[in-house]
Amino acid sequence: MIKAENIVKTYNATDVLKGVSLNIKDGEFVVILGASGSGKSTLLNVLSGIEKADGGSIECNGVRLNELNDKELTAFRKKEVGFVFQQYYLLSHLNVEHNVKLGADLAGNTDYKEIIEALGLADKMKSMSTTLSGGEQQRVCIARALAKNPNVLFLDEPTGALDEKTGREILDYISKLHEEKRFTAVMVTHNSNIAEMAETVIKMNSGNIVEVSSNKVRKSAYEIGW
Amino acid sequence: MVISIKDGLKLIGISIVCCCAVFVCTFMLNYYMDVFPLRDRLTEQSMVFLYEAQIATAKFTSVITGGVLGLVAAGMLVFYIKIYVDSHSQQIGIIKALGYSRVQVALRFWVFGLSAFIGCALGFACGWAAMRFIYDGLTIEGIGEIPINFHAELLVGLVIAPSVLFTVIACLYAYVSVSRPVMWLLRGTGKNIKIKKNNKFKSRSFLAAMCFETLKNKKVLVFFVAFSCFCFAAMVQMGLSMENLTTATMGYMILAIGLILAVITMFMAITSLLRGNSKNISIMRAFGYSMKECALSVLGGFVPFAFIGFGVGTAYQYGLLQLMVNLVFADVAEVPEYHFNVPVFFITLASFIVCYAGVMAYYMLKINKISLKETMLEN
Repeated sequence: MIKAENIVKTYNATDVLKGVSLNIKDGEFVVILGASGSGKSTLLNVLSGIEKADGGSIECNGVRLNELNDKELTAFRKKEVGFVFQQYYLLSHLNVEHNVKLGADLAGNTDYKEIIEALGLADKMKSMSTTLSGGEQQRVCIARALAKNPNVLFLDEPTGALDEKTGREILDYISKLHEEKRFTAVMVTHNSNIAEMAETVIKMNSGNIVEVSSNKVRKSAYEIGW
Repeated sequence: MVISIKDGLKLIGISIVCCCAVFVCTFMLNYYMDVFPLRDRLTEQSMVFLYEAQIATAKFTSVITGGVLGLVAAGMLVFYIKIYVDSHSQQIGIIKALGYSRVQVALRFWVFGLSAFIGCALGFACGWAAMRFIYDGLTIEGIGEIPINFHAELLVGLVIAPSVLFTVIACLYAYVSVSRPVMWLLRGTGKNIKIKKNNKFKSRSFLAAMCFETLKNKKVLVFFVAFSCFCFAAMVQMGLSMENLTTATMGYMILAIGLILAVITMFMAITSLLRGNSKNISIMRAFGYSMKECALSVLGGFVPFAFIGFGVGTAYQYGLLQLMVNLVFADVAEVPEYHFNVPVFFITLASFIVCYAGVMAYYMLKINKISLKETMLEN
């Protein structure tokens, strides 16, 4: 469970998060929706322990993040979270297998090849990441995150750099993996159509949460508009 | 255009190496040119031998120092340009896409020759400032006071020619570097990456793979790290071991130049390494790898090469001093025998280990400051 109360984050005298509070249940699929500059990515960074909040409190799976030092935050991220980024951030000089091992080795996961195969990358195992298409790179990024068996998966605009066909495929992968593994998924997006896939939608504007809603019927990646 | 004069002035490492090279060459060659015509003043044969040994030393030192440091500076220049082109490939790609030719883009790289000019000019000035002091230390009995004359050809050979040469190298190398197709440059792809299916090391852990691949992809940096340690070992030991062969001033000068070179080269190599790996490190940190694990995976692989550099440097300085004693000073009377200086070796080794560990600790702290947020903002 993630519980945040009154989170404040300031960059260069600009309040990016202005007292945000939220609750995310275990195994829930949450989408944080907002326009560029609304503070959604900063909220994701703060909730995941990549950045420290300037004020307020965050509790993630019983750990109070605002009380941790850098070393303890690193240990928290190692144990609890996985990341999927819009820009992939794959290690360009390593092949697919070693990029996935980046996550797998942290969790002592020796079955990481199954994840690579499940994501349809078995024949790309030894390929350098830079030779892959955008969709393939994003699948490697997902495999890397899942290989560390995270309790919470944070996804920052995972389809932002992809075309519609590939974007839908990626969302479908994420949705199916979430159904199967039931990790908590927190996805940031500016695309309101994608929000229809989530259980809970948190809308942000100018550093504030303006609306929290639930989808009674969740749509699949191929049912939503684009 | 993406390249400014400010970019050219940033290559302070090249300026310092050029400064050291030209500094030594200025006073040594000037001394050689001033002493050479004075041979007729000598009447005693023993003094002639000493005279010939002195001018041979001046020539020898100039060629070795100028040659080695010149090559290092040229290597650094090429390396900097490669890094610059790689890190600005998208901007260069846009410029090429707009219709600028390779020659037009490459010619803008002339600014990188400025670093060589500044270093050479400074080295020449410092060489002149120290000239009287050096001449006094290299007096030859029977010749009397050696007059200091200005030789314009040295100004041309040590300042103008190297600056022009470095500018040409910069433009030529840039011309080759920006030859990549526009799409590659726009995508930020450095080269046509070959897909290697190497199953030999399939069981390698991520950290071991990271360490191995970093070394494999940064061979130039491996050279610079080894060279830095080579300079440290060779010139510190040489500076401290040759008290019977030359003046104390020369010894300290060699020691100081060695330390400057070692620090500059190491700083340039590791800074470039971390800059090139900052994105990787920030991802590792975000996933939960500790500062120590990140440092070991990026910097750890260089340790054996550092010690190899140290070993080669030790052998080199011993060989060079033996060569000087047995060949250059062979006919000079009362030249002391030279033996490997064991205490100096151990002092240098201990200092090297402490300094290297200090450098690594400093860069570990830098690694700790690399954040994913900065990487995200760059994109």
